[in-house]
Amino acid sequence: MIEYNFLALIILPFFWFFSLGVIFFSRIKFTENFLSESSKYLSLILSMLALTLFLQVWHLSPSHLKFDYPSWIKVGHYEFKIRFIVDLLGGTYALLSTFLISTIFRYSRNYLHKEEGYFRFVFLLAVLLFGLMIVSFARTLDFLFMGWELVGTTSVLLISYFYSQVQPVRHALKAIISYRLCDMGILAASAWAHLHLHTTDFSALPEVLAEHGHHGEFGFLLIGIFVIWGSLAKAGQLPMSSWLPTAMEGPTPSSAIFYGALSVHLGPFLLIRFHDYLSHFPSLLWSIGIIGGVSSLYATLVGRTRSDAKTMLGYATISQVGLMYIEIALGFTNFAMFHMFTHASLRTYQFLRSASLISDFVDNPRVVPDVLIQRSLPLESLFSKNFRRKIYIHALHSFHLDFMTGRILLGICWPFRAYMKLEDKWMDWDNQLLKKIFGKG
Amino acid sequence: MTSALPQEDFESLMNRIRNRLPIQNPLHAFVHNNILLMFENQDFHEALADAGDLYRARTYWPEERYRARYAEGKMTDDDIKEGLTHYLGRYNEFSPLGYFKIDPKDFLYRLMFSELIYNDDDIQPQIKDQHLWDFCVAKTAGRALTLTRSKVKWRGKEYWEKYHNENYLLSVNPFVFRLISSYLDQGQSFWSNPFMKKGFWAFVSYDIRETSNFLSGWQKILGRKLAEYESTSPEEIIQLELKRLNIPEEVWEKVLLELLFDMKGWSGMVNKLELEPWQATVKSPQIKLTDYLAFLVLLESSVNEFHAQTNSIDLSLIIGREEKQEIRSFQLSLALYQITKSFKLDAGWMNDLSTETLLKIVDDIDIIENTHKIRLWHEAYEHHFYREALSAIVQHGKETRVAVPTRDPYAQILFCIDDREESIRRHIEEIDHGVQTYGVVGFFGIDMKFSSLKNQRLIAQCPPVINPSRVIREFSVDQQKGLGFQSLNRLMGTSGLVLYYQSRTLFRGFFATLILGLLSFVPMFLTVFFPKQSQVFKQWAKEKFNPTPRTEIDIEKGAEDSGYSKQEMAKIVEAIIRMCGLKEPFASLVVMAGHGSSSTNNPFRQAYGCGACGGNAGVPNSRAFAKMANDPIVRTELKSLGVNLPDGTIFVSAYHDTCTDEFNFLDVENFPEQHQKNFLILKKNLGQACKMNAFERCQRFSSEEAKNNPESALKHVRERAEDLAQPRPEYGHCTTALSVVGRRSMTRGLFLNRRSFLISYDWEKDTEDGKILFQAVIGAVPVCVNINMDYYFSCVDNDNFGSGSKLPINLISLLGVMTGSQGDLRIGLARQMVELHEPIRNLTILEAPLQRVKSVFDSHPRLRNILYHHWTRIVVHDPVQNEWYIFGQNEWRVLQAEKFIMKHFHSSADLIKVTHSNEDFAEIDE
Repeated sequence: MIEYNFLALIILPFFWFFSLGVIFFSRIKFTENFLSESSKYLSLILSMLALTLFLQVWHLSPSHLKFDYPSWIKVGHYEFKIRFIVDLLGGTYALLSTFLISTIFRYSRNYLHKEEGYFRFVFLLAVLLFGLMIVSFARTLDFLFMGWELVGTTSVLLISYFYSQVQPVRHALKAIISYRLCDMGILAASAWAHLHLHTTDFSALPEVLAEHGHHGEFGFLLIGIFVIWGSLAKAGQLPMSSWLPTAMEGPTPSSAIFYGALSVHLGPFLLIRFHDYLSHFPSLLWSIGIIGGVSSLYATLVGRTRSDAKTMLGYATISQVGLMYIEIALGFTNFAMFHMFTHASLRTYQFLRSASLISDFVDNPRVVPDVLIQRSLPLESLFSKNFRRKIYIHALHSFHLDFMTGRILLGICWPFRAYMKLEDKWMDWDNQLLKKIFGKG
Repeated sequence: MTSALPQEDFESLMNRIRNRLPIQNPLHAFVHNNILLMFENQDFHEALADAGDLYRARTYWPEERYRARYAEGKMTDDDIKEGLTHYLGRYNEFSPLGYFKIDPKDFLYRLMFSELIYNDDDIQPQIKDQHLWDFCVAKTAGRALTLTRSKVKWRGKEYWEKYHNENYLLSVNPFVFRLISSYLDQGQSFWSNPFMKKGFWAFVSYDIRETSNFLSGWQKILGRKLAEYESTSPEEIIQLELKRLNIPEEVWEKVLLELLFDMKGWSGMVNKLELEPWQATVKSPQIKLTDYLAFLVLLESSVNEFHAQTNSIDLSLIIGREEKQEIRSFQLSLALYQITKSFKLDAGWMNDLSTETLLKIVDDIDIIENTHKIRLWHEAYEHHFYREALSAIVQHGKETRVAVPTRDPYAQILFCIDDREESIRRHIEEIDHGVQTYGVVGFFGIDMKFSSLKNQRLIAQCPPVINPSRVIREFSVDQQKGLGFQSLNRLMGTSGLVLYYQSRTLFRGFFATLILGLLSFVPMFLTVFFPKQSQVFKQWAKEKFNPTPRTEIDIEKGAEDSGYSKQEMAKIVEAIIRMCGLKEPFASLVVMAGHGSSSTNNPFRQAYGCGACGGNAGVPNSRAFAKMANDPIVRTELKSLGVNLPDGTIFVSAYHDTCTDEFNFLDVENFPEQHQKNFLILKKNLGQACKMNAFERCQRFSSEEAKNNPESALKHVRERAEDLAQPRPEYGHCTTALSVVGRRSMTRGLFLNRRSFLISYDWEKDTEDGKILFQAVIGAVPVCVNINMDYYFSCVDNDNFGSGSKLPINLISLLGVMTGSQGDLRIGLARQMVELHEPIRNLTILEAPLQRVKSVFDSHPRLRNILYHHWTRIVVHDPVQNEWYIFGQNEWRVLQAEKFIMKHFHSSADLIKVTHSNEDFAEIDE
């Protein structure tokens, strides 16, 4: 029963976006009505499935179910295993995803009415749903990576939804670079795990580790480091924070679903998946906690100076996700899951309503013209005025995160640049020589 | 400073600059304005040419759209000819005419269809006439021409962008955006800017100094410059830097404007908040345009210096460079060939002409093509509508078959002049012959600031050109209940603010998330999936837990500026009654119907409201007016003014929601018994009219069900208003193109497809010098022009005059919207609001003696501009001579209306069902 249920959750979105794609390439024109109706019903069915699954795993927890299917690819010793795990974490995430996506579908039906890119939007959300289902239920890191990538790709394509303008494309580029840098972490973790542990199965990892019995070995630690690194970009944690607030270029519902809810929580999700493994290494837990702590502090300070609705929400999201990192580091994984769930729904709602802000303020009897709205805290007045002013200015410039990243990148690229300079010089010299030999022209 | 301009010269320079900046208010106080209000002292086309340069925008539709209409047959050769004739009345000096030896009309006509594409290297030219081609080649062999259109560039921007990998949009603009958006913030961010009281310049210089270790590229130079100018005032910096760049004083205005228009929305807002700080949403910071401008000038010169240094370029080669538009000999011969073909010239026309002359002709044609061609297409397109509208209205006047109700009306309804009320007036008249309707400016002559029980913020309930003189307050009849209501409201307000700020912080945000997170699922699901039901539930909950108590409004003269004296009230009532020519005997019910529009999650809410009430709902005005007119003392005062209101006449205030099509009566708790019967009938019929109105409106929406059934249409429009995800709650003033000033008999029974403002004016009741006409015109016509022009510009170039798509919209600083995560503050209307609009200058039709109209339009500067500079087309029906006049380019001439083949329908319902409102004009036989 559970098996059919979760398989349906994976296969239905797959068939959906696949057939959308096929029909699209056979050049059949979609009517808007067809797209909106089909997406509405399908996502509602999926939500129902996810709900029943959730109730089942709730009943089952804390134990979980594993499902193994024949391998997809075999290359030498390597097998791409299709392995699933159905547990409370995956069930919760699937439920959250399907619920929020059906809400977004219903919302976009009017919001994107008459829009040329409506098909593209629906298609990408279908792909996203499929990706999320894979991530929720995958049991190996290799397999999870597939879903992870689909989420990243749809995210980038929706940031650049208005691809005829410069700014969205540039910010999509920023996002994809951040994603890519961190995806390398996941790939490296998976490669390393294959090398040292001969498996990337999350459920088996702790046992394998116990078998080996020597946690101190650097290779094992490195897997953990790579996984943590891999989770940073999606979650917008430091030092990968600067892309997220600038990613609010697509239509509002897509910003809501990605950066308020489903994509941004994949970071903590991955860490929870790996928690059994990571908890063997106190140093890793410490670093998760520190990253989360610093990121949330950073984001909340920067967020306080932002005066536009969506960027502000972006920073608020980073700061709450940072708290989830701390919760995970402390071992409260179930609590982090709960936090994730509530946070996702609150942010989605705030994003969707963000266009009402001006009316909300003007209609509020507490907002009186020509009187500054009082909102600072008694705690802040403990600091000197000068200090607060300084913090304000640096927070306004995001504590120069982009500048410093740039410097570091420049540092890394230094050998190349030095080489380029050398080459320029060589070319100059060469030209002069040629001139000398052959004269002018 | 030694070499600075004298103070007054600099100030006049700044004033000239201010006059060109966008004039939009913060969105909470949005009013429709002619975006080019400050250009109205120029002829329409010339103003558009200037504005097009300034805004870097298109000022007409692209040519293909006009051509497509022509191809579809929606514009005919007759329209084109009419447009040409009109255009020739003003623009008739075309130098090549002497050589071409053709009629100017033919010249322009051929110009419209000309295909001069010699400048485009990508298009392979077609040469059919080899002989002519050889001739052209021979004439231009070895010659080249620099077009007069070539421009001198005073900024490095384009050069750096083209050759040095610079992108202002991604480097300079975000830098400005970050500082200005944070500085102008009214309370959207958690921290307010610490420099709010010290001025923008103090903020900028502190900011750059503080962050100097983290600056790179041109920012470093900026830091150095600021340190250099530490004790120099911004005014001097502007001048010093401009001099340093060797920009001559004559072009300072141009260059500074170009700088400001890089981010025109923010520049306009800075100017607005400096000049009118009370327009701020909450509290305006200390801001000066000169501070902001000095910052921009410094940025500009820093970027220039940076690129000049890194690439060792002499700046003087860049600043003031002439971008030559050159055409070479091959293109020249192509030009001559195409000119000959396009203008259908005799091949021999070039025979006697020297090559010099021919080059001159090519240059002239180049200018003519670039300025006049698109204008001609636009004129033709407008004339199509004008011709149809005029012939329909003239025809309607002749055919008058409308059975003017034989019995005296039992109800007279005063609607707003709004084009959205045209349809409901038509429907109620059709349904109930005992009803007469009138159109007056919806603030009913009451220039007040209103403070409601719910929200004490004083809201100006009058057109933006009028400075509200009085304060009117709403109060609860039961004082105790009122206090309870208010305190609960304030509590809700506080908790709203707390939730807004705290849910976005770290620790308090943590608790807010945990508590509200799960709860927020409920409203989210309800509002997204069941918008209407959730609204009903909300309403129910509000009535249950915090019911609005019965209120009244206090209009009596009180302390200082509150309320009106009885004499003043009488004057207001008299003015309105006279202005709309309310027919005697007065009906027993006189309904004052204010209007507004409800919508959710809509930053442009104000643009849908009643323009005459400053974008708000007209409820307070209609309530105040009814109260005034029912006052016995006011009625005795009125008698002395010559208006005799019988005791049997009662004024009722009402409110029409143009989005949900609900019609509610207000303050009717103690309704007199004798009127009860009529009142019930009227209510029922108005309900029916609303349904038909919704049905008519739904023809423009996509819901199939609502298109075919009035019942579901009503449901549909109500749902639209409550839908969180609805970018088009209604279409507002879309397609507006007409305004009619005159008696209703001119248009009664004529279907106008919601395109017309209807202003009631009875010429017979006016004095000879047109006092009342002046009142009616000055209150209404400029408003119509404003609305029309706002839609016009947002429609022709939504990216530069409008605010772009609503989808990625992001609210900023509580002032306005921007697109995506950063960028300019947008002006104008969103794309979804204007997508059905047709950009046509308003056609104003007046029913009054010509002499009266002339004197009225000559008596006021704005009206003069509108008339003589053609911001609207004016037609007068002189009822004394029974003649129609139209204002041409400079003169009034008699209008010869054509025969219009009017379609007849039995009822509006028929018409809607049959045509889905594709007709603009039709006769409805009642």
